[in-house]
Amino acid sequence: MNLGAAPKDAGEHAELLEFDMDMDGFASNWAYCDRLSTYFARMISHNRSDSLLYSNLFSSALNELLETVYRLHAPSGRFVCSVARRGASERITLTVPVDAQTADFYRSAVSVLNDGDLASRYHTALFTDGPLQPNIGLLELAVDYAARFSIEPADGNAIRLIADLKLEETEA
Amino acid sequence: MIADTLVQTYKVSFDENNQELALSGSMRPEHGAEMEACIQLLERSIASIRGTFYINVKRLVRLNNVAFHALAGALLKAADERPDVRISIVTSSVIGWSTKKFGTLSAKNPRIAVEEYDSEFYPGQSFLEEGGFVPVLRTQTKLTWKHERSILPRHGLTPGATMADICCGIGDFAVLVAKEFAPSRIVALDHSKSSLAYARQVASEFDIGGIEYIYGDAAEMLLEDGQFDFVSCRHALQIFNKPEMIVDELVRICKPGGRVYVTNEKISQCLGEPRGPSIQWTYEQLSKLFADFDMDLEFGPKSYQALQKAGLEDIRIESFMVTNRDGDAQAFADMVMAWEEMFAGGMCEKRGDDAAFVEKFRRGFEDHIAAALHPGGYAGWPVWVASGRKPQ
Ligand SMILES: C[S@@+](CC[C@H](N)C(=O)[O-])C[C@H]1O[C@@H](n2cnc3c(N)ncnc32)[C@H](O)[C@@H]1O
Repeated sequence: MNLGAAPKDAGEHAELLEFDMDMDGFASNWAYCDRLSTYFARMISHNRSDSLLYSNLFSSALNELLETVYRLHAPSGRFVCSVARRGASERITLTVPVDAQTADFYRSAVSVLNDGDLASRYHTALFTDGPLQPNIGLLELAVDYAARFSIEPADGNAIRLIADLKLEETEA
Repeated sequence: MIADTLVQTYKVSFDENNQELALSGSMRPEHGAEMEACIQLLERSIASIRGTFYINVKRLVRLNNVAFHALAGALLKAADERPDVRISIVTSSVIGWSTKKFGTLSAKNPRIAVEEYDSEFYPGQSFLEEGGFVPVLRTQTKLTWKHERSILPRHGLTPGATMADICCGIGDFAVLVAKEFAPSRIVALDHSKSSLAYARQVASEFDIGGIEYIYGDAAEMLLEDGQFDFVSCRHALQIFNKPEMIVDELVRICKPGGRVYVTNEKISQCLGEPRGPSIQWTYEQLSKLFADFDMDLEFGPKSYQALQKAGLEDIRIESFMVTNRDGDAQAFADMVMAWEEMFAGGMCEKRGDDAAFVEKFRRGFEDHIAAALHPGGYAGWPVWVASGRKPQ
């Protein structure tokens, strides 16, 4: 695993932190989702106006993304998670190895996220019995954290899923 | 294996007397089935109660959709099956996501209510948190710092320590400590949003980085266990009706081997000459006034025992007297003037005191101010400092 600050510039975003590891390593232990999201949240929140509140929100949001990737990815390849900042907003970029089926999932999930009436889709998904829909985390981010998603192809058989979040305005 | 780690990450308990199910910690299971034990306890608890069933999620810091889905299903089912029961979910604004998330349940079933717990829970203190208090805290800290900067090392504060200042108010103490002791980390927490806003503004105006100002309830902090070498809490145990709750929290976040440091007053011991008796009368009354609002401004000398009861060792206690002879008589007078406004103004009115009482009460403050500014006068305000070490 390679975990460290990467001070390079991502366009107008300043990159804060990047992590990469083999997908099969990441997907070998569910607890990585929690640990990574909590670690990232702590590292990036200290200079937000309320570090504890920010880190709670960020950890929740990132964890849902990581859980989604944990469940849906191609078996091998490199998984990269990076966080960059521009002013009040944070950009999470996940590079996920995919096969045809999982690529399809991410593409159609993101196109749904750009449709209207997400809140009712999200709430229906939350309260339906049986297993949870695999896109629940993405829906939650779009609805409760006003995340804006985009997706692009990445080198190898991979996609880059990008989520832009602005968490600080939720503070009273 | 995963289930094992999960068991350690959250706690669920039911308190029959309060009909309250408390969930705390981090719930991020991989599968809904891992929530089984928690759901069963929820179902058993709700079967045993009448009226209102409380669910306390104030300290449930993390919850993924898998866990929420399982909880939501059980709660909606319970609400359907028990139309006689009202379910009240108590959240905390400190968590950020929980009021919104649990709020979706009210939309599904109006008998599930979500209440956000906040500073309104301590109504007695409200005057101490409004804007008017800012200048008082500034002047107090300026005066106490003259003494405390040399006292702090005796109580274990060393450069480079990680420290937390709980009930930080407007944050001046954190700023002074940051300059003098260069701690490696400093977290300052208060539950007054206006004080924190002020603190952040001061820090940015004076370009003091690195202080993390955090909103939260000192009696139920979300800071993790055992993080800080030095945990301070100044002039705050005395305004809290259950100081032991805060002390336990201070001890909890302190590292084993680290120290908890508290300062408090015994306000009836304020003194001055000339006009000693008038001054003494007023401060004795002030102590009673606070007692009527459930606050114990006589706490200073009691702090030794409070730290002892919390299980600390190597307890050290001392007192110092802030006086008009410390080098800034005007600041001392300003502080007393601000006290007079707050206490003889706002607080007496709230208690419903008559004009004659208020006049006599004010006179003692004015005599104290006169003593401070008198060429031969002496005016004092005593403060008790106590600290103890958390056992290894
Ligand atoms: C008398 S002031 C002292 C402030 C500061 N320590 C100082 O010495 O200037 C007490 C502070 O405690 C804060 N406070 C009281 N109860 C609290 C609680 N339960 N949680 C967090 N802060 C609290 C108030 O908002 C206020 O800022």
